[in-house]
Amino acid sequence: MQPVRRALCPMLRAKERPMGNEDQDAECVARVIAGDLSGFETIVRRWQHRVLSLAWRFCRDRATAEDMAQEVFLKVFRSLASFRGDSAFSTWLISIALNTFRSRLRAEGQPLLSLDPDRLFATAPGVLRGLEEHQRAEAVRRAVLTLPKRYRDAILVYYFEERDLAESARVLAVAEGTLKARLHRGRELLRRRCANLGPLAAVVAKEEQ
Amino acid sequence: MTPDELDRVLSSEDELEPSSDLVTNVMAAARSPDAEPPALRFPWLRFAAGVAASGIMAWAGTVLLLRSGPALATVTAPLVPLAAVAPEFGYATTAALLSLGLASVPRLLTRN
Repeated sequence: MQPVRRALCPMLRAKERPMGNEDQDAECVARVIAGDLSGFETIVRRWQHRVLSLAWRFCRDRATAEDMAQEVFLKVFRSLASFRGDSAFSTWLISIALNTFRSRLRAEGQPLLSLDPDRLFATAPGVLRGLEEHQRAEAVRRAVLTLPKRYRDAILVYYFEERDLAESARVLAVAEGTLKARLHRGRELLRRRCANLGPLAAVVAKEEQ
Repeated sequence: MTPDELDRVLSSEDELEPSSDLVTNVMAAARSPDAEPPALRFPWLRFAAGVAASGIMAWAGTVLLLRSGPALATVTAPLVPLAAVAPEFGYATTAALLSLGLASVPRLLTRN
């Protein structure tokens, strides 16, 4: 079955982000701790898009993303009692998600593009022109997964958080300066790897058939 | 590929629509007995440290009092006339401490 996707413009995504509901989240957490499971269902419904979206960016496979999202919510459920409200609920939840995805990738390896990236991104002049725009974009997004972990995480979280440097730094638990440096280095590596997308796009197109 | 193009591609990510099973599966797993959230644990470590510290302080205070009883009286002697002249100072201090204690009650209740 083909995954149901929606391409959302940043403005629409910003509207969909369940931000500004910290009080509601805190209330739900209190309800769950008091034994009311409907509070947790509210949390899952509110945050499922965000968590699934981040999971998708880490694996680019729908089934794996759903599985990882479920794992995140269960971890959140087990850890709710330890949520003290020192940080925003969103930051806490996304940090748990990030750690879960990192662990999964560490344990299972990269789900895609596990081949030598130098071979995948080898120069092939002329091929680029014939590619569809979405294939190129997908190739670039998959190429992010081939970066060293620190750059991969920095780029994925930064763009996931809609280029909010401060929030990304909080989620990654690094200083903003460190994150800036990682983003710079990561983008540079990515740009070099995507200098010519011919062979990679061919791989992507083949996978999608 | 230019940096701007890279930025644009990474910013305009497609998003997945969660399947209807996601919430159902998560809630089913949450309802299973294995997924019971752990109850708040009693802070035994802090409790033990507090009891130990209190014991040491009590022991040290007793020893100090027994060893330097007359000397301690000499040190506190200047305070005796002050208490006699301005007893309201002591009352004010007690009232301030009680107010401080009462003010912290709502915060404690909110935490619980």
